[in-house]
Amino acid sequence: MNIEICEAFHIDERGELSFAQLIEYSGLPEGELRELVAYGALAPHDPTAASWSFDASALTVARTAQRLCHDFELDANAVSLLLTYVERIRNLEDELRALRAGVVSGR
Amino acid sequence: MKYKDYYATLGVDRTASAEDIKKSYRKLARKYHPDVSKEPDAEERFKEVAEAYETLKDPEKRAAYDQLGRHAAGQDFRPPPDWEQRFGGAQTIFEDIDLADLFAGLAGHRRGAPRGERAARSGPDYEAAVRLSFEQAFHGAEIELDLSALEYDDQGVPHRVPRQVKVRIPKGVVDGQQLRVPGKGGKGMNGARDGDLYLDIRVEAHPLYRVSGQDLYLDLPLAPWEAALGTTVHLPTPAGTVALKVPPGTRAGQQLRLTGRGLARSGGTPGDLYAIAQIVVPGVLDERQRALFKELAEASNFNPRTHFEAETNREH
Repeated sequence: MNIEICEAFHIDERGELSFAQLIEYSGLPEGELRELVAYGALAPHDPTAASWSFDASALTVARTAQRLCHDFELDANAVSLLLTYVERIRNLEDELRALRAGVVSGR
Repeated sequence: MKYKDYYATLGVDRTASAEDIKKSYRKLARKYHPDVSKEPDAEERFKEVAEAYETLKDPEKRAAYDQLGRHAAGQDFRPPPDWEQRFGGAQTIFEDIDLADLFAGLAGHRRGAPRGERAARSGPDYEAAVRLSFEQAFHGAEIELDLSALEYDDQGVPHRVPRQVKVRIPKGVVDGQQLRVPGKGGKGMNGARDGDLYLDIRVEAHPLYRVSGQDLYLDLPLAPWEAALGTTVHLPTPAGTVALKVPPGTRAGQQLRLTGRGLARSGGTPGDLYAIAQIVVPGVLDERQRALFKELAEASNFNPRTHFEAETNREH
Protein backbone atom coordinates (compact mmCIF):
# COMPACT_ATOMS: atom_id res chain seq x y z
CA MET A 1 0.00 0.00 0.00
CA ASN A 2 1.31 3.42 -0.93
CA ILE A 3 1.00 5.85 1.97
CA GLU A 4 1.39 9.56 1.43
CA ILE A 5 4.14 11.18 3.50
CA CYS A 6 3.05 14.17 5.56
CA GLU A 7 5.32 16.82 7.02
CA ALA A 8 5.39 17.46 10.76
CA PHE A 9 6.10 21.04 11.77
CA HIS A 10 7.43 22.69 14.89
CA ILE A 11 4.51 24.54 16.42
CA ASP A 12 6.43 27.82 16.41
CA GLU A 13 7.45 27.44 12.78
CA ARG A 14 4.42 29.35 11.53
CA GLY A 15 5.88 32.49 13.12
CA GLU A 16 2.68 34.35 13.85
CA LEU A 17 -0.96 33.45 14.46
CA SER A 18 -4.01 35.62 14.04
CA PHE A 19 -6.64 35.61 16.78
CA ALA A 20 -9.01 33.71 14.48
CA GLN A 21 -6.36 31.02 13.89
CA LEU A 22 -5.70 30.73 17.61
CA ILE A 23 -9.43 30.15 18.21
CA GLU A 24 -9.57 27.59 15.42
CA TYR A 25 -6.46 25.61 16.38
CA SER A 26 -6.73 25.73 20.17
CA GLY A 27 -10.36 24.63 20.48
CA LEU A 28 -11.01 27.38 23.04
CA PRO A 29 -14.01 29.69 22.60
CA GLU A 30 -13.26 33.33 21.78
CA GLY A 31 -14.57 34.56 25.15
CA GLU A 32 -12.20 32.33 27.13
CA LEU A 33 -9.22 33.31 24.97
CA ARG A 34 -10.04 36.98 25.58
CA GLU A 35 -10.15 36.26 29.31
CA LEU A 36 -6.74 34.54 29.13
CA VAL A 37 -5.41 37.68 27.47
CA ALA A 38 -7.05 39.86 30.16
CA TYR A 39 -5.42 37.76 32.93
CA GLY A 40 -2.03 37.93 31.21
CA ALA A 41 -1.68 34.23 30.29
CA LEU A 42 -1.59 35.12 26.58
CA ALA A 43 0.08 38.23 25.23
CA PRO A 44 -0.88 39.63 21.80
CA HIS A 45 1.89 41.52 19.99
CA ASP A 46 -0.11 44.73 20.30
CA PRO A 47 -3.02 44.53 22.77
CA THR A 48 -4.41 47.82 21.45
CA ALA A 49 -4.54 46.64 17.83
CA ALA A 50 -7.95 46.13 16.20
CA SER A 51 -7.09 42.53 15.33
CA TRP A 52 -4.72 40.68 17.60
CA SER A 53 -1.78 38.59 16.47
CA PHE A 54 0.33 36.26 18.60
CA ASP A 55 3.66 34.44 18.55
CA ALA A 56 3.04 30.94 17.25
CA SER A 57 4.16 29.58 20.63
CA ALA A 58 0.86 30.98 22.02
CA LEU A 59 -0.76 27.90 20.50
CA THR A 60 1.06 25.65 22.99
CA VAL A 61 -0.12 27.86 25.87
CA ALA A 62 -3.69 27.98 24.53
CA ARG A 63 -3.82 24.20 24.04
CA THR A 64 -2.54 23.62 27.57
CA ALA A 65 -5.17 26.11 28.81
CA GLN A 66 -7.87 24.26 26.87
CA ARG A 67 -6.87 20.96 28.47
CA LEU A 68 -6.74 22.42 31.98
CA CYS A 69 -10.08 24.26 31.54
CA HIS A 70 -11.83 21.16 30.28
CA ASP A 71 -10.20 18.44 32.36
CA PHE A 72 -10.22 20.23 35.73
CA GLU A 73 -13.36 22.30 35.09
CA LEU A 74 -11.49 25.54 35.86
CA ASP A 75 -12.30 29.11 34.91
CA ALA A 76 -9.92 31.35 32.97
CA ASN A 77 -8.61 33.06 36.10
CA ALA A 78 -7.59 29.76 37.74
CA VAL A 79 -6.11 28.49 34.47
CA SER A 80 -4.05 31.67 34.07
CA LEU A 81 -2.61 31.17 37.54
CA LEU A 82 -1.87 27.51 36.81
CA LEU A 83 -0.21 28.40 33.52
CA THR A 84 2.16 30.70 35.40
CA TYR A 85 3.24 27.75 37.54
CA VAL A 86 3.40 25.36 34.58
CA GLU A 87 5.69 27.84 32.80
CA ARG A 88 7.85 28.24 35.90
CA ILE A 89 8.18 24.45 36.25
CA ARG A 90 9.13 24.12 32.58
CA ASN A 91 11.81 26.81 32.95
CA LEU A 92 13.20 25.12 36.06
CA GLU A 93 13.24 21.75 34.28
CA ASP A 94 15.13 23.34 31.37
CA GLU A 95 17.62 24.86 33.80
CA LEU A 96 18.08 21.55 35.59
CA ARG A 97 18.60 19.76 32.28
CA ALA A 98 21.21 22.37 31.27
CA LEU A 99 23.04 22.00 34.59
CA ARG A 100 23.01 18.21 34.39
CA ALA A 101 24.18 18.25 30.78
CA GLY A 102 27.09 20.57 31.54
CA VAL A 103 28.45 18.53 34.43
CA VAL A 104 30.84 15.62 33.84
CA SER A 105 28.80 12.46 34.32
CA GLY A 106 31.79 10.47 35.60
CA ARG A 107 31.18 7.50 33.34
CA MET B 1 -19.65 -3.53 21.17
CA LYS B 2 -17.35 -3.90 24.19
CA TYR B 3 -18.68 -2.96 27.59
CA LYS B 4 -16.78 -0.45 29.75
CA ASP B 5 -17.54 -0.19 33.43
CA TYR B 6 -17.47 3.58 33.94
CA TYR B 7 -18.49 3.34 37.59
CA ALA B 8 -15.59 0.99 38.38
CA THR B 9 -13.20 3.28 36.45
CA LEU B 10 -14.19 6.18 38.71
CA GLY B 11 -14.28 3.96 41.78
CA VAL B 12 -17.88 4.86 42.69
CA ASP B 13 -21.03 2.91 43.34
CA ARG B 14 -23.72 2.72 40.63
CA THR B 15 -26.00 4.71 42.91
CA ALA B 16 -23.40 7.46 43.52
CA SER B 17 -24.65 11.04 43.48
CA ALA B 18 -23.52 13.52 40.82
CA GLU B 19 -21.48 15.26 43.52
CA ASP B 20 -19.67 12.02 44.50
CA ILE B 21 -18.93 11.30 40.84
CA LYS B 22 -17.45 14.78 40.42
CA LYS B 23 -15.36 14.42 43.59
CA SER B 24 -14.00 11.06 42.53
CA TYR B 25 -13.20 12.34 39.03
CA ARG B 26 -11.36 15.38 40.39
CA LYS B 27 -9.30 13.22 42.72
CA LEU B 28 -8.32 10.86 39.89
CA ALA B 29 -7.71 13.75 37.48
CA ARG B 30 -5.21 15.25 39.93
CA LYS B 31 -3.48 11.89 40.15
CA TYR B 32 -3.33 11.01 36.45
CA HIS B 33 -3.58 14.20 34.40
CA PRO B 34 -0.57 14.21 32.03
CA ASP B 35 0.16 17.89 32.80
CA VAL B 36 0.62 17.24 36.52
CA SER B 37 1.28 13.51 36.96
CA LYS B 38 4.57 11.63 36.92
CA GLU B 39 2.90 8.18 37.05
CA PRO B 40 4.21 5.97 34.23
CA ASP B 41 0.79 5.09 32.77
CA ALA B 42 -0.79 8.45 33.63
CA GLU B 43 -1.94 9.38 30.13
CA GLU B 44 -3.72 6.09 29.51
CA ARG B 45 -5.35 6.08 32.92
CA PHE B 46 -6.46 9.69 32.56
CA LYS B 47 -8.11 8.95 29.20
CA GLU B 48 -10.16 6.17 30.82
CA VAL B 49 -11.13 8.37 33.76
CA ALA B 50 -12.07 11.32 31.53
CA GLU B 51 -14.13 9.10 29.24
CA ALA B 52 -16.05 7.66 32.19
CA TYR B 53 -16.69 11.14 33.62
CA GLU B 54 -17.83 12.59 30.28
CA THR B 55 -20.69 10.09 30.32
CA LEU B 56 -21.55 9.90 34.00
CA LYS B 57 -21.57 13.66 34.65
CA ASP B 58 -24.36 14.15 32.12
CA PRO B 59 -27.77 12.91 33.44
CA GLU B 60 -29.04 11.97 29.98
CA LYS B 61 -25.90 10.08 29.00
CA ARG B 62 -25.76 8.41 32.41
CA ALA B 63 -29.38 7.21 32.05
CA ALA B 64 -28.61 5.83 28.58
CA TYR B 65 -25.50 4.12 29.95
CA ASP B 66 -27.43 2.61 32.87
CA GLN B 67 -29.91 1.17 30.37
CA LEU B 68 -27.12 -1.05 29.07
CA GLY B 69 -27.29 -3.07 32.28
CA ARG B 70 -24.33 -4.67 34.02
CA HIS B 71 -21.66 -6.58 32.15
CA ALA B 72 -18.07 -7.49 32.82
CA ALA B 73 -15.59 -4.86 31.58
CA GLY B 74 -14.44 -5.76 28.05
CA GLN B 75 -17.35 -8.16 27.48
CA ASP B 76 -19.14 -8.04 24.11
CA PHE B 77 -22.77 -7.06 24.44
CA ARG B 78 -25.70 -5.92 22.34
CA PRO B 79 -27.42 -2.65 23.32
CA PRO B 80 -31.18 -2.68 24.00
CA PRO B 81 -33.49 -2.05 20.98
CA ASP B 82 -34.37 1.55 21.82
CA TRP B 83 -30.67 2.35 21.69
CA GLU B 84 -30.63 1.52 18.00
CA GLN B 85 -33.32 4.14 17.37
CA ARG B 86 -31.56 6.69 19.50
CA PHE B 87 -28.09 6.28 18.06
CA GLY B 88 -28.52 5.03 14.53
CA GLY B 89 -31.44 3.16 13.08
CA ALA B 90 -32.70 -0.37 12.70
CA GLN B 91 -29.77 -1.22 10.42
CA THR B 92 -27.06 0.11 12.70
CA ILE B 93 -24.32 -2.38 13.39
CA PHE B 94 -22.83 -1.75 16.79
CA GLU B 95 -19.97 -4.22 16.59
CA ASP B 96 -17.10 -1.82 15.76
CA ILE B 97 -18.47 1.12 17.69
CA ASP B 98 -16.71 2.52 20.72
CA LEU B 99 -18.99 3.38 23.61
CA ALA B 100 -17.28 6.75 24.16
CA ASP B 101 -17.76 7.79 20.50
CA LEU B 102 -21.41 6.88 20.71
CA PHE B 103 -21.98 9.05 23.77
CA ALA B 104 -20.03 11.90 22.20
CA GLY B 105 -22.34 11.51 19.19
CA LEU B 106 -25.35 11.72 21.50
CA ALA B 107 -24.17 15.16 22.62
CA GLY B 108 -23.84 16.16 18.95
CA HIS B 109 -27.40 15.10 18.11
CA ARG B 110 -28.72 16.86 21.17
CA ARG B 111 -27.10 20.12 20.14
CA GLY B 112 -29.65 20.45 17.41
CA ALA B 113 -29.47 19.43 13.83
CA PRO B 114 -31.25 16.24 12.79
CA ARG B 115 -29.14 13.46 11.29
CA GLY B 116 -28.12 14.07 7.73
CA GLU B 117 -28.47 17.85 8.09
CA ARG B 118 -25.70 18.48 10.55
CA ALA B 119 -23.93 21.83 10.65
CA ALA B 120 -20.35 22.23 9.48
CA ARG B 121 -18.02 21.09 12.25
CA SER B 122 -14.20 21.02 12.30
CA GLY B 123 -12.64 17.59 12.66
CA PRO B 124 -11.20 16.77 16.08
CA ASP B 125 -7.46 17.06 16.67
CA TYR B 126 -5.66 13.79 17.34
CA GLU B 127 -2.64 13.33 19.58
CA ALA B 128 -0.08 10.55 19.31
CA ALA B 129 3.02 9.78 21.35
CA VAL B 130 6.15 9.21 19.24
CA ARG B 131 9.30 7.64 20.64
CA LEU B 132 12.49 8.40 18.71
CA SER B 133 16.07 7.29 19.06
CA PHE B 134 18.64 10.04 19.57
CA GLU B 135 19.87 9.46 16.00
CA GLN B 136 16.35 9.85 14.56
CA ALA B 137 15.91 13.09 16.48
CA PHE B 138 19.28 14.41 15.28
CA HIS B 139 18.98 13.48 11.60
CA GLY B 140 15.20 13.61 11.21
CA ALA B 141 13.18 10.52 10.35
CA GLU B 142 10.22 9.09 8.54
CA ILE B 143 7.90 7.20 10.84
CA GLU B 144 4.68 5.26 10.36
CA LEU B 145 1.83 5.74 12.77
CA ASP B 146 -1.20 3.52 13.22
CA LEU B 147 -4.11 5.71 14.24
CA SER B 148 -7.63 4.85 15.20
CA ALA B 149 -9.58 7.44 13.21
CA LEU B 150 -13.14 8.46 13.93
CA GLU B 151 -15.42 8.39 10.88
CA TYR B 152 -19.18 8.74 10.57
CA ASP B 153 -21.35 6.52 8.39
CA ASP B 154 -24.33 7.74 6.33
CA GLN B 155 -26.54 7.62 9.38
CA GLY B 156 -24.13 9.77 11.37
CA VAL B 157 -23.01 6.88 13.55
CA PRO B 158 -19.34 7.08 14.62
CA HIS B 159 -17.00 4.20 13.75
CA ARG B 160 -13.34 3.67 14.56
CA VAL B 161 -11.34 3.03 11.42
CA PRO B 162 -7.65 2.08 11.37
CA ARG B 163 -5.60 4.67 9.50
CA GLN B 164 -1.92 4.58 8.71
CA VAL B 165 -0.03 7.84 8.41
CA LYS B 166 3.58 8.31 7.36
CA VAL B 167 5.15 11.41 8.87
CA ARG B 168 8.45 13.13 8.16
CA ILE B 169 9.92 14.32 11.46
CA PRO B 170 12.19 17.35 10.99
CA LYS B 171 15.75 17.09 12.26
CA GLY B 172 16.60 18.59 15.63
CA VAL B 173 13.47 17.69 17.62
CA VAL B 174 13.94 17.42 21.37
CA ASP B 175 12.34 15.44 24.16
CA GLY B 176 9.00 16.88 25.28
CA GLN B 177 8.43 18.89 22.11
CA GLN B 178 5.13 18.83 20.27
CA LEU B 179 4.90 18.76 16.47
CA ARG B 180 1.87 19.50 14.33
CA VAL B 181 0.80 17.62 11.22
CA PRO B 182 -1.85 19.83 9.59
CA GLY B 183 -5.04 18.20 8.39
CA LYS B 184 -4.28 14.70 9.67
CA GLY B 185 -6.72 14.72 12.58
CA GLY B 186 -10.38 13.74 12.32
CA LYS B 187 -12.43 14.54 9.21
CA GLY B 188 -14.35 17.80 9.28
CA MET B 189 -18.09 17.49 8.74
CA ASN B 190 -20.11 19.17 6.03
CA GLY B 191 -17.24 21.10 4.51
CA ALA B 192 -15.49 22.17 7.73
CA ARG B 193 -11.71 21.78 7.97
CA ASP B 194 -10.06 18.52 9.04
CA GLY B 195 -8.44 18.45 12.47
CA ASP B 196 -4.68 18.36 13.00
CA LEU B 197 -2.50 15.59 14.34
CA TYR B 198 -0.24 16.57 17.24
CA LEU B 199 2.81 14.44 17.99
CA ASP B 200 4.22 14.32 21.52
CA ILE B 201 7.90 13.64 21.02
CA ARG B 202 9.93 11.46 23.37
CA VAL B 203 13.64 11.05 22.62
CA GLU B 204 15.63 8.21 24.14
CA ALA B 205 18.75 9.16 26.08
CA HIS B 206 22.10 8.55 24.34
CA PRO B 207 24.98 6.90 26.19
CA LEU B 208 27.44 9.65 25.12
CA TYR B 209 25.53 12.84 24.38
CA ARG B 210 23.48 14.84 26.87
CA VAL B 211 20.98 17.33 25.48
CA SER B 212 20.18 20.83 26.70
CA GLY B 213 17.97 22.81 24.34
CA GLN B 214 19.69 22.43 20.97
CA ASP B 215 23.17 22.02 22.52
CA LEU B 216 24.89 18.69 23.12
CA TYR B 217 27.43 17.82 25.80
CA LEU B 218 29.80 14.91 26.06
CA ASP B 219 32.60 13.99 28.44
CA LEU B 220 36.11 14.10 27.04
CA PRO B 221 38.43 11.93 29.16
CA LEU B 222 42.06 13.08 28.93
CA ALA B 223 45.26 11.64 30.38
CA PRO B 224 47.08 14.17 32.64
CA TRP B 225 49.89 14.62 30.12
CA GLU B 226 47.36 15.18 27.28
CA ALA B 227 45.69 17.91 29.31
CA ALA B 228 49.03 19.49 30.24
CA LEU B 229 50.77 19.27 26.86
CA GLY B 230 47.76 19.48 24.55
CA THR B 231 46.79 16.89 21.98
CA THR B 232 44.48 16.12 19.08
CA VAL B 233 41.74 13.56 19.71
CA HIS B 234 39.23 11.83 17.49
CA LEU B 235 35.92 13.02 18.88
CA PRO B 236 32.65 11.30 17.96
CA THR B 237 29.85 13.69 17.02
CA PRO B 238 26.36 12.67 15.82
CA ALA B 239 27.31 13.88 12.33
CA GLY B 240 30.62 11.96 12.25
CA THR B 241 34.02 11.86 13.88
CA VAL B 242 36.05 15.07 13.96
CA ALA B 243 39.63 15.86 14.97
CA LEU B 244 39.52 18.08 18.05
CA LYS B 245 42.56 20.06 19.08
CA VAL B 246 42.88 20.13 22.86
CA PRO B 247 44.97 23.16 23.89
CA PRO B 248 47.90 22.78 26.34
CA GLY B 249 46.95 23.47 29.95
CA THR B 250 43.35 22.25 29.61
CA ARG B 251 41.65 22.07 33.02
CA ALA B 252 39.15 19.49 34.25
CA GLY B 253 35.60 20.72 33.58
CA GLN B 254 36.71 23.06 30.81
CA GLN B 255 34.23 23.07 27.91
CA LEU B 256 35.60 22.91 24.38
CA ARG B 257 32.98 24.17 21.96
CA LEU B 258 32.33 22.80 18.49
CA THR B 259 30.14 25.42 16.85
CA GLY B 260 27.09 24.17 14.96
CA ARG B 261 27.63 20.51 15.84
CA GLY B 262 24.52 20.34 18.04
CA LEU B 263 20.90 19.77 17.10
CA ALA B 264 19.36 21.62 14.17
CA ARG B 265 17.10 24.52 15.13
CA SER B 266 13.84 25.30 13.37
CA GLY B 267 14.44 28.48 11.38
CA GLY B 268 17.78 29.26 13.04
CA THR B 269 21.39 28.29 13.50
CA PRO B 270 22.02 24.82 14.94
CA GLY B 271 23.11 24.31 18.52
CA ASP B 272 26.72 23.64 19.55
CA LEU B 273 28.48 20.56 20.88
CA TYR B 274 30.53 20.92 24.05
CA ALA B 275 33.26 18.46 24.98
CA ILE B 276 33.84 18.67 28.73
CA ALA B 277 37.42 17.85 29.73
CA GLN B 278 37.77 15.15 32.34
CA ILE B 279 41.27 14.33 33.65
CA VAL B 280 41.67 10.60 34.14
CA VAL B 281 44.70 9.06 35.86
CA PRO B 282 45.84 5.51 35.18
CA GLY B 283 44.66 3.10 37.87
CA VAL B 284 47.88 1.09 37.91
CA LEU B 285 51.41 2.37 37.29
CA ASP B 286 54.38 0.20 36.40
CA GLU B 287 57.75 0.92 37.91
CA ARG B 288 58.99 3.22 35.17
CA GLN B 289 55.78 5.26 35.08
CA ARG B 290 55.86 5.66 38.85
CA ALA B 291 59.46 6.88 38.63
CA LEU B 292 58.56 9.38 35.93
CA PHE B 293 55.66 10.76 37.95
CA LYS B 294 57.96 11.09 40.99
CA GLU B 295 60.49 12.91 38.91
CA LEU B 296 57.79 15.26 37.67
CA ALA B 297 56.53 15.87 41.23
CA GLU B 298 60.04 16.78 42.37
CA ALA B 299 60.68 19.04 39.40
CA SER B 300 57.38 20.87 39.62
CA ASN B 301 56.49 23.68 42.01
CA PHE B 302 52.88 23.65 40.85
CA ASN B 303 50.40 23.90 43.72
CA PRO B 304 46.78 23.41 42.71
CA ARG B 305 45.59 24.38 46.23
CA THR B 306 46.97 27.88 46.67
CA HIS B 307 43.46 29.13 47.43
CA PHE B 308 43.39 26.86 50.53
CA GLU B 309 46.40 28.55 52.06
CA ALA B 310 44.70 31.59 53.57
CA GLU B 311 42.32 29.29 55.44
CA THR B 312 44.90 26.72 56.61
CA ASN B 313 47.32 29.48 57.72
CA ARG B 314 44.60 31.00 59.89
CA GLU B 315 44.18 27.69 61.74
CA HIS B 316 47.87 27.37 62.59
